[in-house]
Amino acid sequence: MLPVVVVHGGAGQIPKERSEMSTAGVCRAARAAYSILQGGGSSMDAVVEAVSLLENDPSFNAGCGSVLNVKGEVEMDAIVMDGKMLRSGAVSAVRNIANPVQLARLVMDKTSHACLTAEGANQFASAMGVPSVPQESLITEYSQMRWKKNLTPDADPVECQMGKMGTVGAVAVDGEGNISCATSTGGMLNKMEGRVGDTPCIGSGGYADNNIGAVSTTGHGEAIMKVTLARLILFHMEQGQSVEAASDLGLAYMRSRVHGLGGVVTVDPRGHWAVRFSSRQMSWAAAQKDTLHYGLYTGEHYTQSINAH
Amino acid sequence: MSAVVVVHGGAWAIPDELAEASVDGVKAAACEGFSVLKRGGCAVDAVEAAVKVMEDNIAFNAGHGAALNTDGEVALDAMIMDGSTLEGGAVSCVENIANPVSLARAVMEKTAHIMLTGRGANMFAKSIGFTTIPTESLLTEYERKEWEKNKNWVTGVKDDFKTQWSHDTVGAVAVDCAGNVACATSTGGIRNKMVGRVGDSPIIGCGGYADNFTGAVSCTGHGESILKVTLARLIISHIEQGKSVADASQLSLQYMGERVQGAGGAIAVSPSGEWAATFTSKRMAWAAVDSDVVWYGLEPNQRLKEQLAI
Repeated sequence: MLPVVVVHGGAGQIPKERSEMSTAGVCRAARAAYSILQGGGSSMDAVVEAVSLLENDPSFNAGCGSVLNVKGEVEMDAIVMDGKMLRSGAVSAVRNIANPVQLARLVMDKTSHACLTAEGANQFASAMGVPSVPQESLITEYSQMRWKKNLTPDADPVECQMGKMGTVGAVAVDGEGNISCATSTGGMLNKMEGRVGDTPCIGSGGYADNNIGAVSTTGHGEAIMKVTLARLILFHMEQGQSVEAASDLGLAYMRSRVHGLGGVVTVDPRGHWAVRFSSRQMSWAAAQKDTLHYGLYTGEHYTQSINAH
Repeated sequence: MSAVVVVHGGAWAIPDELAEASVDGVKAAACEGFSVLKRGGCAVDAVEAAVKVMEDNIAFNAGHGAALNTDGEVALDAMIMDGSTLEGGAVSCVENIANPVSLARAVMEKTAHIMLTGRGANMFAKSIGFTTIPTESLLTEYERKEWEKNKNWVTGVKDDFKTQWSHDTVGAVAVDCAGNVACATSTGGIRNKMVGRVGDSPIIGCGGYADNFTGAVSCTGHGESILKVTLARLIISHIEQGKSVADASQLSLQYMGERVQGAGGAIAVSPSGEWAATFTSKRMAWAAVDSDVVWYGLEPNQRLKEQLAI
């Protein structure tokens, strides 16, 4: 059953013409992460690689392709967590960085802190020699078009957010049974400057514990924070629920208690995995036992050999 | 239904010279929170009022008297949560604000978001006419000296905490007569923290959590350890499983000690008015007002009481 990696490209509802690119993107990320795991790499290396690829892919709301804040700027959030030691690293409202997930990992590995924010996160990036990239390199025509559209007074950014895939993320278990998660996002469409969503908040955007499992979440960030969705799902698993049942219980609770939609990828230490979402779509892919699994709509589950292209 | 307020002034090795001021400070804060409830205020009003009293008191590391970061600046974190709706508000790394807990409440009530950080949080403060104050007015001579002493100490935070010299967070939890619970937490963070460091305090589920179906919790202690175990949410989950607030707090703090070698403290209240103040650090100043009696303590297992002055 091990190793295994599961990635998501965000919960939401995407136009048909963009759905193929999203599916191709998550499949590519899952394949790359799986090959790291097969080569003996750690689950942390695998999830950071998967999320970095999704950040570099303009189809997703993370890194290049991030949604814009109300001022038309890119501010990004990311988290990584190592389930062995419960160590984590996060950045919030960081700018001009191509791969926030890699910066989050540096926060975990190179500081005694777990989260750095805004200018402080950028100062740390330069101290670490992480190159600063021009903001334009993170902005796509599509994200600019959607930003303008949502500046109108009657726009509903939460509703419209579901019009593009949200946050990206990954969970993995490596051959040694170590579990990790990573999540990265451009946040919410036309958010206020400085808005921090669920993604960099441990227990909301993700959580990993070798004794229980790992979750990476996506969806309406404020709703996810209210129920600390990742930790909630893991509590259900601690109580003996399966990865599917625990994920469904967490998402159903979020829907009934705070009327929020979202999606999750979940693994347990034995390599059981689940992809669940209450939104209309979530692009996802998983790799296990040389098989690639992927889908987009509820109930959709395709498989092919990991080596087929 | 009886109204209860519990507050803490941080779990750490409070030095003797700060002991009396800390105990007096938490008692004053708990009494202020309770008087808000008595006048018909809700749980959110009470926790905000109690935390403001401690932010304004230089004996505590929040608002006035906050610890300085490596650049010698004051950057504050705070959160508030309403257990009736699970609505939350938080600010991280905000500067020039005397009462970050009130700004966190404004984020909860006046925006579609839960958390604002850095310059964005300060811009929001300005846009709603929130009073800003010069950094110098938040600085105390005591904290400036500590900063001078430590500023070349690269090994930093973890060693600092191990010497039990980490100055910490304030917080409050309350249940009002209608059975609504709320929590609030506010801090200046760890001494000589990196610029932009965000600890547990503003993170929902770590620095605090409130849910009318289970209870409310506010945490303090080594921030990075609290984050690792999402301490507030962990305590709430034990309450959900049927544990008393005291057992839930004890179990969770014990887990934090065993799993990630972190010390800390928590205050918790249930919707029925059961409450607890628990810590694994050397000391934690805490106070509770329950049925016109003030309970308070500083040392482990210390539980003093006096009649509420009316």
